[in-house]
This record gives sequence, structure tokens and C-alpha cells, in this order.
Amino acid sequence: MKRRLLRGSLAPPENDSRSLLDAQRRDLPGEATMRRYRDDDEVDVCVVGAGAGGSVLAQRLARRGWSVVVLEAGPFWHPDRDWVSDEAGSHHLYWTERRVIGGTDPVELGKNNSGRGVGGSMVHFAGYVPRFHPSDFCTRTLDGVGADWPLRYPELAAHYERVELELPVAGQHWPWGDPHDYPHAPHPVSQAAQVVWRGAERLGIRMRVGPVAIVNGTFGNRPHCIYRGFCLQGCKVGAKASPLVTHLPDALAHGAEIRADCMASRVVLDSSGRASGVSYFARGELAERRQRARLVALACYSIETPRLLLNSAAPGFPGGLCNNEDQVGRYVMVQGATQSAGRFPDELRMYKGPPPEVSSEDFYETDPGRGFARGFSIQTVSPLPIGWAEHVAAEGHWGRGLREYMRDYNHWTTVGVLNEFLPQAENRVTLADDRDAHGLPVARFDHGLGENDRANQEYSGRIARHILEAAGAQDVLTIRRYAHLIGGARMGTAPDHSVVDRWQRTWAVENLYIADGSVCPTQGSANPALTIMALASRLAEHLAGRPPAA
Amino acid sequence: MPEIRLGEHLPNLRADHRPPHPSWLPRQRRGTTAQMIGRYPDYDVMENASSWDRATREVVEARLRPPSRMRFFGPSEEPTMRALCDTLLAQDRDPKVPVSEMVDSDLAEGKEDGFRYADMPPDETTWRLVLAGMDGLARRADWPDFAAASEPLREEVVGRFAAAELAAETLGGLNPERAFLVCMRWVLSAFYSHPWAWNEIGFGGPAYPRGYMRMSGVGLLEPHERPGATSEDPVGLAREWDE
Repeated sequence: MKRRLLRGSLAPPENDSRSLLDAQRRDLPGEATMRRYRDDDEVDVCVVGAGAGGSVLAQRLARRGWSVVVLEAGPFWHPDRDWVSDEAGSHHLYWTERRVIGGTDPVELGKNNSGRGVGGSMVHFAGYVPRFHPSDFCTRTLDGVGADWPLRYPELAAHYERVELELPVAGQHWPWGDPHDYPHAPHPVSQAAQVVWRGAERLGIRMRVGPVAIVNGTFGNRPHCIYRGFCLQGCKVGAKASPLVTHLPDALAHGAEIRADCMASRVVLDSSGRASGVSYFARGELAERRQRARLVALACYSIETPRLLLNSAAPGFPGGLCNNEDQVGRYVMVQGATQSAGRFPDELRMYKGPPPEVSSEDFYETDPGRGFARGFSIQTVSPLPIGWAEHVAAEGHWGRGLREYMRDYNHWTTVGVLNEFLPQAENRVTLADDRDAHGLPVARFDHGLGENDRANQEYSGRIARHILEAAGAQDVLTIRRYAHLIGGARMGTAPDHSVVDRWQRTWAVENLYIADGSVCPTQGSANPALTIMALASRLAEHLAGRPPAA
Repeated sequence: MPEIRLGEHLPNLRADHRPPHPSWLPRQRRGTTAQMIGRYPDYDVMENASSWDRATREVVEARLRPPSRMRFFGPSEEPTMRALCDTLLAQDRDPKVPVSEMVDSDLAEGKEDGFRYADMPPDETTWRLVLAGMDGLARRADWPDFAAASEPLREEVVGRFAAAELAAETLGGLNPERAFLVCMRWVLSAFYSHPWAWNEIGFGGPAYPRGYMRMSGVGLLEPHERPGATSEDPVGLAREWDE
């Protein structure tokens, strides 16, 4: 497991996406010639959602000769034309249809954490791809909080390594969790991130460059990063990983169909209680359609997977499919993502370079001396002007005061934390009274923090401030916020506390699987993308019934 | 004049916690900024437009075209909307970024941000209730409406709105804290999407396909960048150079 990878030009096994890409155009090759199935073809698997989980599953299974249809609610992107180097102009990358948020600490959705379209949220994720720590899989046993997973880290380690090669991940040797190396060398560090690094160093906090899913070397036709800073607006360059460039080219080359602009409305069961397909609305068509499938895998993430199950009530499942134990939509988690910005005499121009630069997991594990269980990670970020305006406004500035801080933009650098908030049954997705354009009830997400969560948030906020002060910050501005989603259909050892088993198969329907981040019982303080992909990779290997050729 | 390196212009670092009057700022010499003030007087982001990809250039240049007439807000709401946006962003003279028209256009097109607080109506309704609330508060102080009110009165009302000191009844029952955040979310994303605002703050703007050099050291400028204003007295400097 402690295998050391050779750096540079290592090729991932069984994934030719990098060479299938066109070096001069960003369109996904193969869209025009993609195999297309009819609704009444009984395909081997119908995957709902073309994001991190669904795309990896589709690519793996298409490679094994499975017939695959992926339904995706959003569009098939043509980045040269559809994406722009601009904050406000990137609004269409997010899931902007209405959802209702409530609870004592509501979580804003939309651009903050929700994607739409082929490639999913990774199209606009920052690019940080740390692994979960081995401890994340058994926090109940180790720390008396959260939940134990029905699998342990070693079962996922090979898939982490494989996905890191496929993205590929650039970064320094990683000393935390299960120590490991990355296939690509660390990127150069921007001036704004260097300042944070210096502050951390003075406090004895270890920082490392990366890990980011941004090409830094030779990798087929994927170009090198140009450090333009718009990772969160969709990488027009193609250097940052998303399934659009990492897995879907290979999936299409092996006969998978990505059916974009198709909003799944319900999972359909046959008279024996097996899933027989998925109903959906294709854009521009009024009549509901139905794709037949031998097996159904949901990969719509923590809000939409529970919503789809709850909208799929059927005889025998009056309160929503797989919900007879009242577990669907529960234990949805977000991470605390407080960001602190520090002011310095020199211009730092934090918009230059990728927002993800350097990070630390020195505070990841439980330290009884801190007074709360589990911990947080530290990562540099770099808001663009609209993000920076929201940061300044969060401290109550408006009018002239706001404009003054805004004009000072180039003198600031920003460091964020990711707190591991603990799973709570009442943090859950239910159906709201509001309906979408198809008449389907939209999701409502209620969220509240626990005592441990608040203590973690407070402590980590102080550390971020100390780092900036140690670096010599003259002024500090802080915004409290949340990031990422996980949970909502968690895996477990019995149906009374979970929705799926250790192989992500729903307890209630034998040929219905969940292949996204909603299956995670805990979240650590790592960004979830890599783990979602690794879990989908493991699931694919299980479904195909044999391990991948090395 | 505040010393920029020391951050003497920043509200948190000032004794009264208020920003200095913007008259300390240099006048814009190149390109346009809101109110023609800014910290990068010789920088015009639009001079880089030829290095941007076409899709991006079209999106950004569209913001510089004259704004269309308001469609979402009615004739009685329009002056209040303008006065509120001007006060929230301290746009006290021309040229102004047409924030109220930009917000109006997005509202008219049904743009949504992907969430609605369970205790709040849709954003469209929030805006209308807020505007009615601003007019009501101005009338309570004996002005005909918010737009006709004096600048100090408008600032006082918005200041109380920002500090969540308004009673829910004054805003048609809205949660005042959330209502303020809704308004700010819309106006900030309009104002800071505009190239005039980028000139004012020295933001590099779109950078594809050109990109940046591989991570320069602190203070190193690229040829297309311009230095920020400094606090030296230009007359004194010129004298030094002459001697």
C-alpha cells in the first residue's frame, strides 16, 4: 500500500481519455458519433447523473462491455463556446433551480456546492483532491462520534491510487493519513499562497503544495495549466480534472451513451419489486419517457438522489422508494468552510494562479486537548471580485466602507478551513411544497450545527487568524460559510440505520445502486471528489465481478 | 492622504471605523471606473480584451452596452430601486455602473440562484417588499419617498437595514437580516461583474487563453498590468527627481 509512484508521465490503466481528447478543441470527442440506445432497449445499466460518481461507474462498466445509458439533467458542455473566464457569466454551471433551505443553520446551495451538466460539480470544483484518512472510516470506534463505515480504508486505497493517476493529481509528498506520493510534481506556488505558507511555518504548522487535480506535466492531449485563476468557473483550458476530460471520453469510446438535458423523474419498479428502468423528461418534450435497464445506479448526489428516491414512491414504498425505514435523505453533511483574509503592504494579486494552492492536515485528527472530536483541514483559496465582495460584506461593510475594502483587493490573501461536521439524523432532505417546471416536488434541505461542530468552527477560525497574523497581516476579514455536500443515503450494516449496504446496493431493491457521495456515513475534513470517484471505481469493479487488469 | 502600505484607508484600522471620504483617491486617467475614482488610475482592463477568447469577450462587452429599460420593476418602484442600489454601493455621481438595470434584467428573466430560505419568499417578492419598506421609512421621516430623501437619511435607513435593526413589519414581514443579504447578493454580483469595477480595484479580468506567467514573486508586474497608486506626494517626488 505504501507503494511509491514514479512521477511524470505515468499512464493510468484502462482509461485512454487523455489521448482521446482533441489537443486543439475542448469539446468531448465522440459526442456526435456516440452510440444511442432506444428507450425500450433494456440496457445493462442506466446511470442517473454524469458527475464524479456516475461518470467513473459508466467508464468502468462500458470498458467491461456493459451497455450503458447515463441520464444527465443538465447540458452536454462545449467549453470553447459555453464557458467563459468570468464569474457572473458562469451562473449556468450551477444547479440554480429552486430548492428550499431551512433548519437552525441553513446551507446555501447553488454556486456554492451544486453542479449541473455533463461533468457534474467537478466542472466548477476548486480542484483539491485529498484522500480521506484511515480514521474517517471508523470515527465511532476511535472517537465515539459519527459512524463507522461498513468498509475500511485499505479497501479503497487501490482505487484512490488509480483515480489519482487518472485525474492526474499534482502535489508534494503527503505526510498525513496514509502517507503517499502524487503522480505529478507540485505546481509553483502563487505569491498570495506563499504569504500563508510563511505564516503557517512560523507557527510550526506544516503546509504542503496541493494536492490538486491539475495537470503538471505530460499527460496525453491534456494541456498544462496556464494559471489564469478561473478554476471555479469551469476550466476552459482542460488542465483541471472533471469527468468531462478524465472519464467520459473513454466511456464514449467504449459505447456508453450520455443522454444530456434529461431530468430523471422516478425509478420504475416491475411487479416483482426490481427496478426496471428510469422515467425522465427530455428537454423540449412534454411526454415523460422511460429508459429500460437491467440495473439502475443513482449518482445525483446528496440533494437530488434522496429527492429522486422520495419522488419514486411506489406500491410497497408509500413514503418514497427505499424509505420504509425512514432513512432516505438523513445524515446529509456539509463542511464548515470559514475563510479569513489578511491584508499586506505589498500587492499580492490573489486572482493569479489556481485558487487551490497549499494545504495542511495537521489538525485533521482528534486532539483531546482541543475540547472537541475530529478536526479540520486548512487550504488556501482566492476569491475573484464577486466572491471577495461577499467576503467583505459578511463583516457588515456596505457603501463606502465596502468600496474601500474592495479597492484594496490586490493586497489580500485568503486561507480557508474545512471542518468535519458530524452526521446528524435531522440534517436531512425532504420534499418541499414548491414544484419544478416538470411539476416534480423540489428538495428541502434542513441543517443545523451540533455543539461539537460549533467548537470545531470556533477553534479553526482562530487558527486561520493566527496564521495570517503570524505572516504579518495588518487587518483580517472573515466570512463564515459552508462547503461541499455528502451523505443522504448512507451505507451501513443494516437497513434500520442506512439506505445501502457495503457495496452501495439499496437494501430495498436488489438491482438499485447508489454511486455518489450520498453513501458516505462521515466526511472527514477532506474535499469529497476523489473519494466519490474511488467509491464508484470500487463499485464498478464489484459489479463487473473481476478486478481490473493492472 | 492615508498611507496605502500601512492600510490607513481601511475602516477597521481607523479610529472612527469609517472609510475616508473618497476624494483622497486618484482620478482615473485611463478607461472608466465608477465615479472615475480608483486605485489603478492608469489601468483599463478593456485594453486586454483582444487577448480574451470570443465567448468571454462577448459576455463582458455586453455589460458595457447602454442598459435596457427596466422591465421587472414598475415606474413607481424604479426611482426607489436606483436610490437603494446607489446607497448600497456608494455610487453618488456619474459615471455609474447600471446596477439597478442589471438586477432588473436578471429578475425579469427569472434568474434564480438555486435556493430559497424556508422563511423567505422568492427573491422577486423580497425585492418588491424591500423597496416598499424603504419608501415607508422615508415617508415616516417626512420625505415623499426614498429616492427624494436626503443622502444622510438614505444612509441612515440603509445602515439600520444592514445592521438588522429594522423591524420585520417595516419590510412587509420579511426577516430583515436575510432580506439585506438577498439585496446584497444581487447588487454585488452585478457591480463586481462590470469592467469599470475591475478597473477600480485592479483586477486582471478574464485571462484565457493568455494566462499568467508561472507564479511571479511578490510585487512583480507583467507587461499588461499597471502598478497601484502610492501615497507619495507627487510634487515632492518631482522636485526630488529634478534635483
